[in-house]
Amino acid sequence: MTTLVTLDWLVLAPVLAPAAGAVLVLLLDAVAPRLSQVHAGVGVLALVAGIALAVPGALSATDAPLRTLCLPAPDGACLYEAGPVASALQLGALASALVVLLLMWPGERERMTVQGGPAVVVCLVLAATAGACGVAAAHDLGSWLVCLELATLPVVALVALRGTVAAGRGALALLTTSLVSFAMLALGAALWLVATGEAVFAQGAAQAALDADDRRPVLGLAVVLLLAGLGFKLSLVPFHAWTPQAYAGGSEAVAAFLAATSKVAALAALVVVLRPVVAAGAPVLVAVGMLAAVSMTVGNLLALVQDDPVRLLAWSTVAQAGWVVLPLSALRGGSAAASGGYLLAYVIATLVAFAVVHVVGAAPAARGAVGAPRTLAAYTGLLRSHPLLGGALGLALLSLAGLPPGVVGLVAKVVALRPVVDGGQWVLALIAVANAVLGIAVYLRWFAVLLRDPEPGEVGPVVRRVDRPALAAVVLSGVALVATSVMPQLLLGLLG
Amino acid sequence: MILASLVVPAAVAVWLLTAGRGLTHRAANVLTLAASVLTLWAVLMAVVLRPVVDRAWVPSMGLRWQLTVDGISAPLLLMVAILGVGVALHTTDRPPLGGTSAAFHACLLLVEVGALATFYARDAVLFFVSFELVLVPMWVLITRFGDPHRPAERADAGGRFVLYTAFGSTLMLVGILALVAKAGTADLEVLAQGAGRGIPVHTQVLVAALLTAGLAVKVPVFPLHTWLPSAHTIAPTAGSVLLAAVLLKMGTYGLVRLPLATLPAGFARIAPVLGVLGAIGILWGGLACLVERDLKRLVAYSSVAHMGFVALGLASGTRTGLQAALFANIAHGVIASLLFVVVGGLKERWGSADLATARAALREVAPRLGFALVVGFAASLGLPGLAGFWGEFLSVYAAWSPADDRPGGLFRALAVVGALGTVLAAAYSLRVLRTVWAGDRTSPPIEDSRDSEWDVAAVLVLATLALGIAPGPLLAMTSGAVSSLLEAAR
Repeated sequence: MTTLVTLDWLVLAPVLAPAAGAVLVLLLDAVAPRLSQVHAGVGVLALVAGIALAVPGALSATDAPLRTLCLPAPDGACLYEAGPVASALQLGALASALVVLLLMWPGERERMTVQGGPAVVVCLVLAATAGACGVAAAHDLGSWLVCLELATLPVVALVALRGTVAAGRGALALLTTSLVSFAMLALGAALWLVATGEAVFAQGAAQAALDADDRRPVLGLAVVLLLAGLGFKLSLVPFHAWTPQAYAGGSEAVAAFLAATSKVAALAALVVVLRPVVAAGAPVLVAVGMLAAVSMTVGNLLALVQDDPVRLLAWSTVAQAGWVVLPLSALRGGSAAASGGYLLAYVIATLVAFAVVHVVGAAPAARGAVGAPRTLAAYTGLLRSHPLLGGALGLALLSLAGLPPGVVGLVAKVVALRPVVDGGQWVLALIAVANAVLGIAVYLRWFAVLLRDPEPGEVGPVVRRVDRPALAAVVLSGVALVATSVMPQLLLGLLG
Repeated sequence: MILASLVVPAAVAVWLLTAGRGLTHRAANVLTLAASVLTLWAVLMAVVLRPVVDRAWVPSMGLRWQLTVDGISAPLLLMVAILGVGVALHTTDRPPLGGTSAAFHACLLLVEVGALATFYARDAVLFFVSFELVLVPMWVLITRFGDPHRPAERADAGGRFVLYTAFGSTLMLVGILALVAKAGTADLEVLAQGAGRGIPVHTQVLVAALLTAGLAVKVPVFPLHTWLPSAHTIAPTAGSVLLAAVLLKMGTYGLVRLPLATLPAGFARIAPVLGVLGAIGILWGGLACLVERDLKRLVAYSSVAHMGFVALGLASGTRTGLQAALFANIAHGVIASLLFVVVGGLKERWGSADLATARAALREVAPRLGFALVVGFAASLGLPGLAGFWGEFLSVYAAWSPADDRPGGLFRALAVVGALGTVLAAAYSLRVLRTVWAGDRTSPPIEDSRDSEWDVAAVLVLATLALGIAPGPLLAMTSGAVSSLLEAAR
């Protein structure tokens, strides 16, 4: 019973590549601690390898999931199951981690005093990415929980490693929420086991539990607890309180990791849970819908008054998380794909935004500058003073707002709204409409600053020289944004 | 041809925004002029040849590049393309204030592309995407290149414009998605042929209400019109022309294409509401014009009144009403463009557009501008022989004898209100002409219109006369499509 009958290394590769990379980087660090560029290089290579190995799964024409780690015949449950959505999310996690790693590239002038050295940072990023990839395909409670925590805990360390007081506070907030959410998840998983009698997320067992009167409430409670636990990770209101603190505490690159890769992991975990209980019907869906509506509204309203770009992006994450789970509130075949599609569009746009914020934040403030790097005023006239950065940020903001030329954001909004409208949830649809408008107000406020001419005598931070890896990050994510805006199929096609 | 008319201006706009940022005003203008002339040629060919483009764009969503031309869209396409050349020409000797000339021209071209794509689109979701395309360039035109004296109002007007219209279009998106879900297709022609059969009436009413409410923001129908006056007042002249002649038309065109064609039964139920709001808009716009002191704002309010006639015609549900609405649509585009060119020119010369300030009589100091203004306002008040007459006369006539399923008494009352509105129009038009045009003061002198500004104004004056004297060709162009649309609904 305990012997696994199948073990397909190639199928597991998207998870194994970053994990192996993490180990390799630690080994290298022990052997040659000074070669920090090599450590980062190995990390990048591991992620590129992971992307290359995840692409076939995402592009496979069949809907049949890739399976491995299957138990012997009578049970037949597989511990690893990656359908098109899971593969696409793995791809998103790996690619976003790649961009983040480029932003963290150890430069000649160490801007952030990282304790433990660059190798530790690279190793933590790779480990968290491996967790994110794993949870997307995890099919049993055990590996699901472990992978989810693997995706979370290294990030706490990443925030804390910056070493400032703000970073400490942010890391503490993140750690506390992680622990609470882990407790909820563990309890939820235990209840799931009680209700279904199986340690896998299987549709049949869940259905049986739903049909039995005495077990249905237990399963319901399990799902609610799991939902709440994941709500913390997705920063859905009312589980969002850590988000702005942790974003503002960490460096921009870490915030980007939290906003992109961590969110991919959380959504992937949510999709795994929700798929078997699709038949559970109304109560769970109403809960998801309410979380979505409240998150959007609160996130947008608070983003509207922020003056720190990182905090603005943090609240925008809260709002966008609402959009991400919006399609899941309707029971449609395409809900998970719609949710994944929206998430990936958001991830691309937000990565571009964070990359630019990172570069502008690193620019030395000119003499007599009024705008500190972390205010919106620092972006005055960026579109003219630095067209590449300004253009990338502008397109990213318009994509987040869902306005052409950021077509990918607009298409993502269409995709996310479709299941809701199909399901006839008019109230939720109208709340979403109101929030689409609020969101436009949020992002146009920043976009207007990019366009504005600096007042005479006002000098913002001057972006003179951009580090090559950071420039690569901007260009890489920017090209992805432009390509998916011209051909949204590149993104949506991944989700089958 | 269709693709050429979209790709050429889009490519030039992108080039102007990226590589061509440093171009001088002259070079950017010549390039834009060339692009818009090419576009006009391509649109002309497309209108004559009626080609069909059908290519997959986002297969997983079923979204297609499905573009074609029919009798309803052909006049609008021509108007957009002609005015595209017009605004480029008009900008020739007035370098934009507030930003680079390349960006200004790129925005003009992008608005044109978005409008053309909207009128070409035969896929409901593609229609929505193109509909959204004009928002950002128009917002930039208002907030960056608008009235240089009032930065705070610029931001306010631009923000209001974008938020109002984005709210409307997202509402419309919900309606479109519901419609597509219920009918199972996003092809507007198939949807129009199906005419909502098989969809329960209460669902039809709900979806039609969503679509109409969303589009009514863009038209704009009272009480959703409040973004329009401020946007018009602040926008540069070229922006005002595009706003009046292009953006508003997208709203009315959408009303014809979406709720009216695809859900006739649902639209019939909400048509009385639309008719009443249209009639209120006619009165409201007219009354506002009687007391408005800012000339540009006044023209904007008169637009609200004119679009009220269009809404009334659409609501009547008859062939005449629909024809009248489509005619009034074009006529308003031409007249409002003419008025905005003249009034924008006056504002530049005067420094403000306040009617209370005593100024030299146009008749004395600037006879050309004065003539164009007289023609514009005469057409605006619905003088027979000018463009404004036919649309409004036929709308009122259609409201007097509406379709069988509309409440007859109500619509007769609305027809009376509409007729009253033309009296108001006469009153405010004459008020403006008396203050601005008549009189014998000759100081302070202003320069009369010449060169490109006069060329544009002259063409628009001619178009106003032509539409007024010979409405036949335009009515004939739309009649075939209108008949088949109403046939399908039966």
